[in-house]
Amino acid sequence: MMQLHAGATAVSDDPLHAPRACDGRAPDVFRPGGWVPMRQYRESEPVDFAIVGTGAGGGTLACKLAEYGFSVVAFDAGPYFRPLEDFASDESEQTKLYWTDDRIVDGDNPLQLGSNNSGKAVGGSTVHFAMVSLRFRPEWFKSRSMLGYGADWPLDWHEMWSYYAEIEQALKIAGPVTYPWGPPRPRYPYRAHPLNGAARALAKGCEALGIKWTETPLATLSAPRGLARPCVYRGFCVTGCSTNAKQSALVTWIPRAIAAGAEIRDLAMVGRVEVESSGLVSGVHYHRDGRWRFQRARNVVVAGYAIETPRLLLNSATARFPNGLANSSGLVGKNLMTQSNQAVWGRLEQEVRSYKGPPSLAITEHWNYEDRGKDFFGGYSYMSQGPLPQLWANTLFNARGLWGNSLVEAMKDYNHVVGLKIVGEMLPQESNRVTLSEEVDQYGLRIPRITYSWCDNDKRLIDHSLKFMRRALEAVNATDIWIQDDDTCHLNGTARMGSDARSSVVDADCRSWDIPNLWICDGSVFPTVGGANPSLTIQAIACRTADRIRALARRGELEAGSARPSIHRCSIEVQRL
Amino acid sequence: MNRPAERDLIAMAGIAASGLALASLLSSSSARVRPPRWRLAAPGRNRSSNPETVKAARRLNRAAGTLAASVLADSSVEHYRGSFKNKAMYTPLLVSALTLATSLHGTADMRPLAHKARDATYLLAAATGLVGSGFHLYNVGKRVGGFSWQNVFYGAPIGAPMAILLSGLLGFCSERVREAHRTRPRIFRLPAGRAIAAVTGAGLLGTTGEAGLLHFRGAYHNPFMLLPVTLPPIGAALLMSAAGGGPGRTHRFTRWWMRLLTGMGFAGVGFHAYGVSRNMGGWRNWSQNILNGPPLPAPPSFAGLALAGLAALGLMKAHPDA
Amino acid sequence: MHERRDRYPGYDVLAKWSGPSWNDKTRDVITRRLSIAPEPRFFTRDEYETVVAIADRIVPQPAVRPPVPIAALVDRKLAEQIMDGFRRPGVPRDGEAWRRGLKALNAESAAAYDKRFAELPEALQDKLLRAAQSGELKAAEWGGLRCEVFFKHRLGRDIVLAYYAHPTAWSEIGWGGPASPRGYVRLDLDERDPWEAAEAKDGNDATARRSNRGVR
Repeated sequence: MMQLHAGATAVSDDPLHAPRACDGRAPDVFRPGGWVPMRQYRESEPVDFAIVGTGAGGGTLACKLAEYGFSVVAFDAGPYFRPLEDFASDESEQTKLYWTDDRIVDGDNPLQLGSNNSGKAVGGSTVHFAMVSLRFRPEWFKSRSMLGYGADWPLDWHEMWSYYAEIEQALKIAGPVTYPWGPPRPRYPYRAHPLNGAARALAKGCEALGIKWTETPLATLSAPRGLARPCVYRGFCVTGCSTNAKQSALVTWIPRAIAAGAEIRDLAMVGRVEVESSGLVSGVHYHRDGRWRFQRARNVVVAGYAIETPRLLLNSATARFPNGLANSSGLVGKNLMTQSNQAVWGRLEQEVRSYKGPPSLAITEHWNYEDRGKDFFGGYSYMSQGPLPQLWANTLFNARGLWGNSLVEAMKDYNHVVGLKIVGEMLPQESNRVTLSEEVDQYGLRIPRITYSWCDNDKRLIDHSLKFMRRALEAVNATDIWIQDDDTCHLNGTARMGSDARSSVVDADCRSWDIPNLWICDGSVFPTVGGANPSLTIQAIACRTADRIRALARRGELEAGSARPSIHRCSIEVQRL
Repeated sequence: MNRPAERDLIAMAGIAASGLALASLLSSSSARVRPPRWRLAAPGRNRSSNPETVKAARRLNRAAGTLAASVLADSSVEHYRGSFKNKAMYTPLLVSALTLATSLHGTADMRPLAHKARDATYLLAAATGLVGSGFHLYNVGKRVGGFSWQNVFYGAPIGAPMAILLSGLLGFCSERVREAHRTRPRIFRLPAGRAIAAVTGAGLLGTTGEAGLLHFRGAYHNPFMLLPVTLPPIGAALLMSAAGGGPGRTHRFTRWWMRLLTGMGFAGVGFHAYGVSRNMGGWRNWSQNILNGPPLPAPPSFAGLALAGLAALGLMKAHPDA
Repeated sequence: MHERRDRYPGYDVLAKWSGPSWNDKTRDVITRRLSIAPEPRFFTRDEYETVVAIADRIVPQPAVRPPVPIAALVDRKLAEQIMDGFRRPGVPRDGEAWRRGLKALNAESAAAYDKRFAELPEALQDKLLRAAQSGELKAAEWGGLRCEVFFKHRLGRDIVLAYYAHPTAWSEIGWGGPASPRGYVRLDLDERDPWEAAEAKDGNDATARRSNRGVR
């Protein structure tokens, strides 16, 4: 029955301990043990762009800039995985995808980090995200002037709509044939996946309450694409996809970036952005292979997500910028926004077995687009859920307080559990922020301290959603209904974009107001978060930023030396080794 | 019948039987020159009296059999996937197996006489197709979301039972053609060749709809997926024009097109096998990928219809007024 | 203690070990996990004994099967410095938090009952753990570590995660287990693939048992 053959697969290299992307090659994510050729750049010669982070923001931008002909080196503190051979079907093992470096959390509602919001791998959090790929509601880009809360974005939704379409194509999003909310959008490139039991329950509840629902647009393939296989509904999505069905940055933007001449440096932790006496940045100090190194660059893009981005800017303080880089507004690290992630759980007489398929196959954005009947600002969507056993057991223990026999018995109902969970908008508050602690991490860098407290509006939104979802579960005859009221997800803010240097950190092009060759391109730039998962919007902003950089370069408005993309593309032979 | 092991066996048997039968149908047609001994001997006086109607009838049997084989294999796989939740889900397996056997019998039968058991079986097949369509419509409609894309994609395939209906209709036509050794071959007082051409054309359009729907579900990710939604409608148009056109035409292009469709139907199995291999784990993960990948037995239904089209054209050639 | 009945009689997720649901990487990981011996590497003997006693109360296990070595699984995680990566002010890093919490629990036990935690009868162990859960323990040994924070975010979390990382627990709850390259085909309500656990319905074990025996 069971053969114990430890070490049957001789793993030649351990991506967690030795960098893989070196010697002119990078791992081929589509072939076990495979490699692709990769261009490499000298540290002493400035590259056009040094990008810190390779997730939804940095990975996308690295690809686009390289394809536009700029020389690009992108750094990631995490390992470079080949999902087909490196990912186990196991929750514990796959915690290797998460950012679990030391962090302090405080405030009235301290955040839970790690698994559900930060990744440490080439591809960033997209390696373990739930693949939910939603567009923002157009009004959210002007929530201050149109809806009366938060802050306006310096972006126009019409323009974003075309970038959304570009991303949806690039990731072959599998979505419904027609989307029930918002202005028209092009058809999703791939068809929606079949619903699982949990999604079916969400649909029934919505129909009973008279609101619309749809299949969630997901960045996982419903048909083959090149060397990537379609989804097999194994249900381990948020612990890493071992089939490459998930269209993470690791298997989409990064291979494209490398083919276009970008270099990826894995296990490379950037600790400081260097500022010259001219007041411009000149490169990044990074830790790799056991020592600190310096890469010269004409432009630096920080794309480390809403905690590591402000941490790096604050840790890069100099005599000239004593409060950290790009921080003349004092807003770096402030206005951190997570999204509320509360749930209502129950038990169905039928077998749900929600462990099958992507966790959130069905969604309703009703309360994102309907403003009547709300006693709060903002919106929320809610989705069907599919927690794996460890996550579910910890939810029962942590949120429901079960242990002992009551926990063991409750776990035996695992296959009957049905749940609905929101992604809810939280309002920006300056008091929710990332600062530096006095303690240091394994690199000797000061660790971040993340302070978070919900405001009254946040609580009213959560309350509204929990009442509504309870009705939705009652409508499908769920029993034993209970509420999980303390979870949060996604991280945004901390380097918001705006149209005024005094009230924002970067402009609409993600360029910092203070230092013209320092850019920030990730969820940090969000002035508000909306009630939708942010990854599609982060990628859309990255694509827009790349287009803007190209336009600025053509007009000669980039910093000295980077006025024109360096011509190097023809020197790359893109063929499999 | 609820035990998984037995369900496995039934599904496997269904697939195997349809494969074997298909092979023997095709081999019996290729051995046209010297009929093997086991063929039912025709009474001598009729053998020469009207060979064209019998030939056309046997070709129709073969077409009906090809369709039935496709249905047997397809419903085995799909209803196994549906865990035979409803006992009625065994019906198409039984009926298509019976239709297949009947068609083999008909293909081998040289006599210019309709056969009561064959007639009855073909009518049963047609009825099964109609009832099955009703079942499938009901199944889709009762799901949350009703007749939404989600349910049309992943619920019971609405068009699938039509294949057994077509098999039954073609078989029924075959019997009418076969017994028309003294009069002009007619079906419900219509000229038989033209009627069959029209039915086949409509069948091609319906099957195109089914392929179109499922290939849309697959987002036409491979350009070859466009073939079964472009070639068959042209074939349908050619058949319709043959059905409606004046006598005395040879329909060479139409016959050539039908052969093309036959080839496409069988090549489709190969394409679908490639599709299965492109799923995670490939053929090693067959227990999932046969069910989740493209359906292997579906494309030959195009071949079955194209063979029926050839039979109709042959009949029209032999009987210009048929 | 009430009687435990198998909800998924005869189901063993390890029966799928050589089938298409498990790949090499998963087999490597689970092989390592199953080979963990029930003895401490990170904890001291005394600490380990206390963790064993706590784990018995947080996730009681039936006597009829070999127990999951929960304490050893927690121990290895700490030894390998696999951490959550976030903690509240005043809370030490994971391993140090465990040491301090265990010391404090034993101090509470000694103060109240003049015994080590592991020597208490189950009812008193439960009583102490409930007091920790609701934040009532205030012994000096806790330092800046609040007992309810330790209980919820360290002690209980690590133990629960350790138990449900074990194939024995997966079989107990009827989870499909590792799934790659093969995932699932039948996804809807009340649908089940032949390679998933069958649940005993209406006290009828035999049908489920027969089906579970065929799981590969």
